[in-house]
Amino acid sequence: MWVVVGVVSAVVLVATYVTWIASRVDRLHGRVAATYSALDAQSVRRAAAATASDVAEVQTAAKAVLGAHPDEREVAENDLTRALRDASSATVTAVVEPSRRLALARQVHSDVVRDALAVRRRWLVRLLRLSRRHPEPRFFDIDDPTLDESGGM
Amino acid sequence: MRIGIVCPYSFEVPGGVQRHVQDLAETLIALGHEVSVLAPADEDVVVPPYVVPAGRAVPVPYNGSVARLAFGPFSAARVRRWVTAGAFDVVHVHEPLTPSLALLAVLSVRDEPVVATFHTAMTRSRAMHAISGVLQLVLERITARIAVSALARKVQVEHLGGGAWEIPNGVSVSRFADARPLPGWPGEGGAVGFLGRFTEPRKGFGVLLDAFGTVAARRPGLRLLVAGPGDPGEVLSDLAPDLADRITFLGLVSEVDKARMLRSVDAYVAPNTGGESFGMILTEALAAGTPVVASDLDAFRRVLDGGKAGRLFAVGDPAALASELAAVVDDPALRAELAAHGRDVAAGYDWPAVAQRVLEVYHFAIEATPRAGVGPSPS
Repeated sequence: MWVVVGVVSAVVLVATYVTWIASRVDRLHGRVAATYSALDAQSVRRAAAATASDVAEVQTAAKAVLGAHPDEREVAENDLTRALRDASSATVTAVVEPSRRLALARQVHSDVVRDALAVRRRWLVRLLRLSRRHPEPRFFDIDDPTLDESGGM
Repeated sequence: MRIGIVCPYSFEVPGGVQRHVQDLAETLIALGHEVSVLAPADEDVVVPPYVVPAGRAVPVPYNGSVARLAFGPFSAARVRRWVTAGAFDVVHVHEPLTPSLALLAVLSVRDEPVVATFHTAMTRSRAMHAISGVLQLVLERITARIAVSALARKVQVEHLGGGAWEIPNGVSVSRFADARPLPGWPGEGGAVGFLGRFTEPRKGFGVLLDAFGTVAARRPGLRLLVAGPGDPGEVLSDLAPDLADRITFLGLVSEVDKARMLRSVDAYVAPNTGGESFGMILTEALAAGTPVVASDLDAFRRVLDGGKAGRLFAVGDPAALASELAAVVDDPALRAELAAHGRDVAAGYDWPAVAQRVLEVYHFAIEATPRAGVGPSPS
């Protein structure tokens, strides 16, 4: 009889642990999606602020970001960052703040992608295929978009 | 916004983190937000109105000094009650990787976004490695990380595989700018100031003593004002008595007296030879409008705007310090120029400005937290 109690307790414990890990996987992937959409929004805000600039290269680069195909998105972002850095600081003052927020968004998104990738590699998650409902998270691979010297990276 | 802040250390003991939390909370309240601070406190201690005491703090030796932490099932229950009752838009924890209320808070939060500020450069320890699984869980639940210095941020990147957004410690500029000098200071002959553990070699007091000897020899009224813990006898024993007479030791000073001390001198000297991750005393001296002469350490150079808001001298070189000190002490116009530039720099570190940067991180953390019907994932 005690063997039965022991086995049932073990099963309950294992099931609780598996449920907990599964919810952790779900939560992390949910945060990947949420931080990505926030990052996307910041990127659009920066590009929108940049379209108002007088400098021709900045304007073209900004429009390219807004109309970019998902595969070319990161390249377009880097082109815009480069164009903003090359332009004189007086012409791009309106873009300094959105650039800083974009850098923050990239930071936060990268942190959660790293955590999600790490949890996917756990043996239990791979064994039970707990992450099958979620696509593999990708880093949003752009250069640091911060324009001014002050502020964090 | 409803903001919940968790401080791991008790307010009864003076410390940088507690000071930071208190100033941040008061600034946010002044900006119109609702703020509740959870901190350890004994039952009979008087706390500011925005603080919720979380039970008795137990003294624990940590990082070379004694911290008073609250940790355990009773504290955990208090934390959970505070989080549930608070209905916060964002929870801001400080130093969440120490066994404390901050760690408990991160584990208790359900849906709210969590922002964490890292103040110290932690060193890897066996104890930390043993509980790295728990630390990983804590880090996963944090939406956005803030570091107060490049060094604290570096520890994140190297040891924890993540990044942090750098927002420096704020300084309450008016508290320093409006302080009254101590009676009789700076005096007719001028005065030079130092604050810190003068017996610790890395603080560089020895360098200052050498330089002061040189500079004071030709300026009869010049005096040196020293604040901080330590035995004056240790450093005065080798000095000529007439030089020793020109040095005044204040001992440990309160926050109020620290501000007064900074306003009592014509120049503040930071002769540190190493180990400084930020240099808060420099921002405080700049806020007080006192010209600064500092070692050319990376952290100091950054705070002094590349050497424009204060004079830099070669690290550990008493002759270089003596020449810079002489230039500052003798030239009132230079002092005025340095003070003006210093005040501009300090304005960037003033709490209202720093609090805006923290609010920016709060807003982003809220935006980046999953709600029902969230947007597309990258694919």
